[in-house]
Amino acid sequence: MNSATRKVVIAGVMGAISVLLGATHWGFVPWLAGAALTVMHVPVIIGAVLEGPWVGVAIGAIFGAFSLLQGAIAPTGPADVWFTNPLVSIVPRLFIGPVAWLLYRALRRTSETGALAVAGVAGSLTNTVLVLSALGLLRFLPWGLIATIAVTNGLPEAILAAVITVAVVAAWKRIAVGREGSSV
Amino acid sequence: MSSASEFELLGRVTIGQYLPTGSALHQLDPRVKLLAAAVLTIGVVSSSSVLGLGVLLASVTTCLALARIPLRYELDGLKPAAPFLLLLALLQVFIIPTQALNARVLCKWAVFSISDRSIVAGVVLILRFLAMAMGLSLLSFSTSTTELGHGIEHLLRPLQSLGLPAHEFALVINIAIRFIPILAEEAERLLKAQASRGADFGRRQGGLLTRARRLLPLLVPLFVVSLHRADQLVEAMEARCYLGGKGRSNLIRLRAQFGDYVALFAALVIVTIAIVMGRVDADKLILGLIGP
Repeated sequence: MNSATRKVVIAGVMGAISVLLGATHWGFVPWLAGAALTVMHVPVIIGAVLEGPWVGVAIGAIFGAFSLLQGAIAPTGPADVWFTNPLVSIVPRLFIGPVAWLLYRALRRTSETGALAVAGVAGSLTNTVLVLSALGLLRFLPWGLIATIAVTNGLPEAILAAVITVAVVAAWKRIAVGREGSSV
Repeated sequence: MSSASEFELLGRVTIGQYLPTGSALHQLDPRVKLLAAAVLTIGVVSSSSVLGLGVLLASVTTCLALARIPLRYELDGLKPAAPFLLLLALLQVFIIPTQALNARVLCKWAVFSISDRSIVAGVVLILRFLAMAMGLSLLSFSTSTTELGHGIEHLLRPLQSLGLPAHEFALVINIAIRFIPILAEEAERLLKAQASRGADFGRRQGGLLTRARRLLPLLVPLFVVSLHRADQLVEAMEARCYLGGKGRSNLIRLRAQFGDYVALFAALVIVTIAIVMGRVDADKLILGLIGP
């Protein structure tokens, strides 16, 4: 099977999932007092783990571009207004995939599940840290508040991302293995 | 009982409509429109002058009028954003401390302080958002997704000779756009199936892990089904001898005409003016001539 075609298609499909999660309420897990944990970055992590860092960059770009569009055309919360700046919405998201992929590759031999969980946490934290840093550097939020958000939102979001990444990739790989095992 | 709208996802995924009014702006080469949008983004992000951003906003509004987009549509699109925009602008004005050297503090009370710089910052925030929002909706009102796909692919093609996978990236975007409604339908079906088996997604109780586990019966099948479809698509593409971008030609050829170049030139000029205004602090110069 030509892996280049597969990479293109997976990037497109995962990008579509990210957009779908962002456009509907599925992407938002209600959390403390109004702010929600988001899972739109998880397709980026999964795509990168399955198909490599460049696929992760592509999905991250789609996720970022969509959050920019959503912020401009159909915002769902006050923070969306900040995302009309591509330095906040697009640039940080390009790194989620490569970081997740690197850690997954490094830890894969030790434990598949552990590697997936770490990739999930790392990818999610990359998203949190880079986006919040952009908001801080552009002086949209004071650094004290940023640190608070990073802890109260960022850490639970990282755990959530790890849970979903492990669940999805484990389910997929088992199914893939099952299919190859059947005889025609 | 959850309302019917919770199950209807397809209607929520349309971001920005296409309004074919047949204006001159609609006939422009999609590459020019995409480049103009990119150039507008750069201008909005780089210009810090109120007058410069005002120039950008004025030109976007003029283009909307040229494209014969009814004002009602435009304002309807901005309505959901208005309260948030106001909130953030007030945040900029009152709470964010201004570190500028020559900021004149106008009044101060506990953590809230207004300086002339912070008022400008608030206004800049509003102008930036309006310019971006209206510019992007102008793009989506005047360009269909097919045109956008062609435009992106043709724009990225010169990069192909540098070794970058331009065709592949354009294809990724096209696949993503086509898959969104397909996945929305799939997600709707999953939601109804799980709900009919007693899954309760709306409940807000439980700690983090409980809520995460409640989401899994929805998210895992969604991903797995999508990955299956991806496999099918790859097989279908290869069965039709898809070999990638090398040496690939198109049925549709985009030909830029004189009007397109004029439009692009105008966009570049306007954005340059806006950025330059920011650099030379035109606000002070011009308003200083008129103001108190």
